Amino acid sequence: MTDPNVQPARAPTDWSNPARQRLIKQRYAAERRFRLAGFFAVALSVLALAVLLVTMVGNGLNGFRQTELSVTFDLPTLTSGASADSLRGASADAAIRSMDLQGIVGLAVEQEYGSDSRDYLTANAPFLLRDMLQDDPDMIARKAKIWLPVASPIDIAYKGRGTAEAEKIAATLKANEKLRSSFNWNFLSASDATDPADVGIWGALKGSLLTLIITLAIAFPVGVFAAIYLEEYAPKNKLTDLIEVSINNLAAVPSIIFGLLGLVVFLTWFQMPRSSSLVGGLTLALMTMPVIVIAGRNAIKAVPPSIREAALGIGASPIQVVFHHVLPLALPGILTGTIIGMARALGETAPLLMIGMVAFISSPPGGFTDAATALPVQIYLWSDEVNRGFVEKTSAAIIILLIFLLGMNALAIYLRNKFETRW
Amino acid sequence: MDGTALLFLILGLGLVAWITGRTRASIFVRDGAHLRRGHVNSLPVYHGWYLALWAVLPALAFMVLWDIISPALVSNRVLLSPAAASLSADSFSRGAILSEARAIAQGFQQSAFQPQAQALVPAYREALAFYRWIGFAITLALFFVAALYAYSRLKPNLLARTKVERLVMLILILASSIAIITTIGIFASLIFETVRFFQFVSPVEFLFGTRWSPSETIGEGYNNGYGAIPLFWGTIFVGAIIAMIVAIPLGLMSAVFLTQYASPRLRRWMKPILEILAGVPTVVYGYFAALTVAPMIRDFAVWIGFQNAASDNALAAGIVMGIMIIPLVSSMADDSIAAVPGAMRDGSLAMGATKSETIKKVLLPAALPGVVGGILLAVSRAIGETMIVVMAAGYTANLTANPFDSISTITVQIKALLTGDINFNGPQVLAAFALGLTLFLVTFLLNIMALRVVKKYREAYD
Repeated sequence: MTDPNVQPARAPTDWSNPARQRLIKQRYAAERRFRLAGFFAVALSVLALAVLLVTMVGNGLNGFRQTELSVTFDLPTLTSGASADSLRGASADAAIRSMDLQGIVGLAVEQEYGSDSRDYLTANAPFLLRDMLQDDPDMIARKAKIWLPVASPIDIAYKGRGTAEAEKIAATLKANEKLRSSFNWNFLSASDATDPADVGIWGALKGSLLTLIITLAIAFPVGVFAAIYLEEYAPKNKLTDLIEVSINNLAAVPSIIFGLLGLVVFLTWFQMPRSSSLVGGLTLALMTMPVIVIAGRNAIKAVPPSIREAALGIGASPIQVVFHHVLPLALPGILTGTIIGMARALGETAPLLMIGMVAFISSPPGGFTDAATALPVQIYLWSDEVNRGFVEKTSAAIIILLIFLLGMNALAIYLRNKFETRW
Repeated sequence: MDGTALLFLILGLGLVAWITGRTRASIFVRDGAHLRRGHVNSLPVYHGWYLALWAVLPALAFMVLWDIISPALVSNRVLLSPAAASLSADSFSRGAILSEARAIAQGFQQSAFQPQAQALVPAYREALAFYRWIGFAITLALFFVAALYAYSRLKPNLLARTKVERLVMLILILASSIAIITTIGIFASLIFETVRFFQFVSPVEFLFGTRWSPSETIGEGYNNGYGAIPLFWGTIFVGAIIAMIVAIPLGLMSAVFLTQYASPRLRRWMKPILEILAGVPTVVYGYFAALTVAPMIRDFAVWIGFQNAASDNALAAGIVMGIMIIPLVSSMADDSIAAVPGAMRDGSLAMGATKSETIKKVLLPAALPGVVGGILLAVSRAIGETMIVVMAAGYTANLTANPFDSISTITVQIKALLTGDINFNGPQVLAAFALGLTLFLVTFLLNIMALRVVKKYREAYD
């Protein structure tokens, strides 16, 4: 049958040969192993994230609960018969201030729970009693049962992580139904304190907010303008190349270096107020700007040239083309990049440590030049505390920070999906 | 009348100027139509901007200038006052007293530590008020003079749009140059302080010394505890070795799996989850490392026989840092694999190679430059990372390769030297800037190299 002129180059592979079959099996096994390795890599990354989140939530949820102790105040006796009328009107503040509320609280607790009980309540308890008296002056004329927050050792003992001694006290009180757990509003409205049961994040959150306002006010316009110039007008020359290299490099410079820059330039050379959210915002603005420039350039690049040509064709000037047509179309992309950059700035800690936003600050900052702290810095400060009660507060603050970050990222994704135009 | 109020007053007057200019130009347009006075060059709104910018910008520039020069004028006036006659001639202590008096006069501080400062407060208040009013008057005068000048130039044939657009262009150029200014600022501030540091400690000791325990006093010779080798090693060990052993395989394999094997559905879910990993703040990772991972690893080390394992061990910091870097490596690898032309992949598959063979022998070698660029960026990111090592690694600088031992890095020492009680002229604080400069230069080189490699590679396949 074979044509003598056409010699086959070689015999066709005999796939039914057992050696071949084994080879194929080996290759398929290698394929499966490789695929499995890939799957494990993804699974491991997701697992790491899950463990991190579960640890934080598991530790942190207790931070949102505060244990309270029932204390019966025999106010007429304790205040030696102060009248409700003295707590009304213009002299009310002075009248309340003249009362030894700290002594009153201590005495009331001692009467009910014995002489060892003076440190059951937090240092904040007298102030809470003051607020209650201001709200309801009539209370002073009767016996009142009030729930007041307990100090940290008993608080964490009630939640099951305290020392043996505190656990015993908590167990006794619990058996007598003198303890209850309620939502810790104080955590959302107070600032830093020495007793972990009294701390709150509002001060740090406000500091972060003020810092981000400065950051946004500077990084957004500068970043957008720079993106417009580089993408639309910049001539191809050495200077433009230098700007591009600078921006790309700045986006990858370690954040602590920006802290050093802020320390030298803003604090030492310009003598701006130390620890203030103004300096923090300026420092973070320099860090965020490159992110916005890069995102802005990509968004502007995505606007098709036909839009520009049409506008130029009907007589718009180059500036009008960009500000009337290109920029509005690129804005959703720019905003997405800005929000992501701001989220990064919100989570940044190291540069703020450098410019001194690490002080113990027990009241929320009133303005941009006041000494302030920021949420991630507060987390760092609490994580450094030896007191065991701070563990749950640190994790609770982390939960708040993560909620904000997730919210910002979700907003960015929503904006991108809603306004993104495919040309 | 403080600065903010003045600023808003100027801006408000600027709005008035804008409306005035626009109205004036509208009249030109109307007259032009009726009386044939000639063609109006620009739209009325540009006349508004022309007038407003002319009026506001000089005033604002003067406000900034005045902010810079007025403190010197104020302290001169205070020094001339009788209350300052008793001050010592020593400029250092005099400066301290003056700055305290200033803080009280401006309301930043309640009471004085130095009695002399208290005496100067009234003089300071008077001088501050005096120069504030002068500044206020000049600012307003400048505003009206400039506004009148610009108003006198409003004519139908004024090229208002061209002039306004020229200014806009200038602003755009200025905004872009801020990137360069920042880079130069970083360089300048770090080099300035580093040179001062090298007046205390020789560069030879800093770069080649092997003992790091910075002290306030500096003796002769090369062993003052400012040898940074243990820190360089610690930084490389944690950031470039341990973290990369975690991040490179996991990141690369994740990218391969997600781009080549995963169903579109799975990919749609997994990519954002990996991005969340990148979005978690470093302080959270640091807390996670210190609270959960470090004790676990120490127990493990003790269990396998390292009795003196530290709780702030290098391994915990490195592993958590690696987890943080995974998304960065993964997304860079993702991009470079996607950039490999489809024909190469199809060719390999058509020859009968399995998917994994195609990936290992064709896709990854072709994507290698991009992957390497991504890894360089990842290393740069890891060695500059601060919070994880501050919270999970130690403060004592050991020159060791034992991953269960405590180790310190450049960033940890910068943070340690600059927070706490600092003497801004002592070698300890200045050492932080020398470390910062080293870190900046190394990351700068890594970034430039990475960007080069990635750019070259993109061009090769475009």
